[in-house]
Amino acid sequence: MSTYISGGCKNGKSFYAQRVAKAGGSPLYYIATMIPSDDEDLARIRRHREERAGWGFETLECGRDILSCLDSADPSGAFLLDSVTALLSNEMFAPGGVDMDAPERIAGALETFVDRAPNTVLVSDYIFSDAMLYDELTEAYRRGLALIDRRLAARCDNVIEVVAGQFIVHKGALPV
Amino acid sequence: MILIIGGSYQGKLDYARQRFGLADDEIQVCDETTMALDFSRRCIACIDRFALNRIRSGFDPVEAFGTDPGLYRDVIFIANDVSGGVVPMDPVLRAWREACGRMNMKLASQADEVWRLFCGIPQRIK
Repeated sequence: MSTYISGGCKNGKSFYAQRVAKAGGSPLYYIATMIPSDDEDLARIRRHREERAGWGFETLECGRDILSCLDSADPSGAFLLDSVTALLSNEMFAPGGVDMDAPERIAGALETFVDRAPNTVLVSDYIFSDAMLYDELTEAYRRGLALIDRRLAARCDNVIEVVAGQFIVHKGALPV
Repeated sequence: MILIIGGSYQGKLDYARQRFGLADDEIQVCDETTMALDFSRRCIACIDRFALNRIRSGFDPVEAFGTDPGLYRDVIFIANDVSGGVVPMDPVLRAWREACGRMNMKLASQADEVWRLFCGIPQRIK
């Protein structure tokens, strides 16, 4: 069963996503999407690793080209992809320059991923309700993330919004 | 009257088009030049953008709706929810955000239905 989780920052999305993934079967995979660029990133990765210790996750490092991590994994296992937001920024703002085709490509790749590995939990970030006028690039990023959100929400069995550690079911049901 | 609200790019207009079979010329999509709302259209989208234009010109957008809700009782309004971020540093954006809140509250209180879109999925909240 596939589950799409979104909501604001620091509301309990990742913790809930870990619980959903763990209930999804084994082997249990954590797809680490962050490509560290400085000490702050490395510290965050360390913190996330400590938080996951004892959960039984095998970590797959995959910041780009998301389908490639299925080459070295059992697609019948349970996957946690945290987060779609990081995956998009890695591919859209790669060192080689801005890639405006990234949202469409990632949406398609993630649809295929969920088809091949049906026990997948995806975590995204709800960044769509502030009173700001952004520059064109930031706006393209928000538009791109929302495109992925809508496409995957249509594809996944469950769509859950997390607010202050509470859950709003927009589609399907709460898996755990 | 119906109010459809939600964050940017959540599929609000797609939902309205699909549910009501709206033709392009039946929709007023407010942009940075829109200073008046056309209540003869079946749907008015991006009313938050209209509100920003009014604020920048020194007018309260809520006044544009007048005192007779009957004038727009058949209209489907679509609003971007801009209420979920940090208080803007810019006083104009601050006033805009506040005015959008009042405008949405007024329309929602008068609406027969209020829908919120999340990742393309509609949820009836009134």
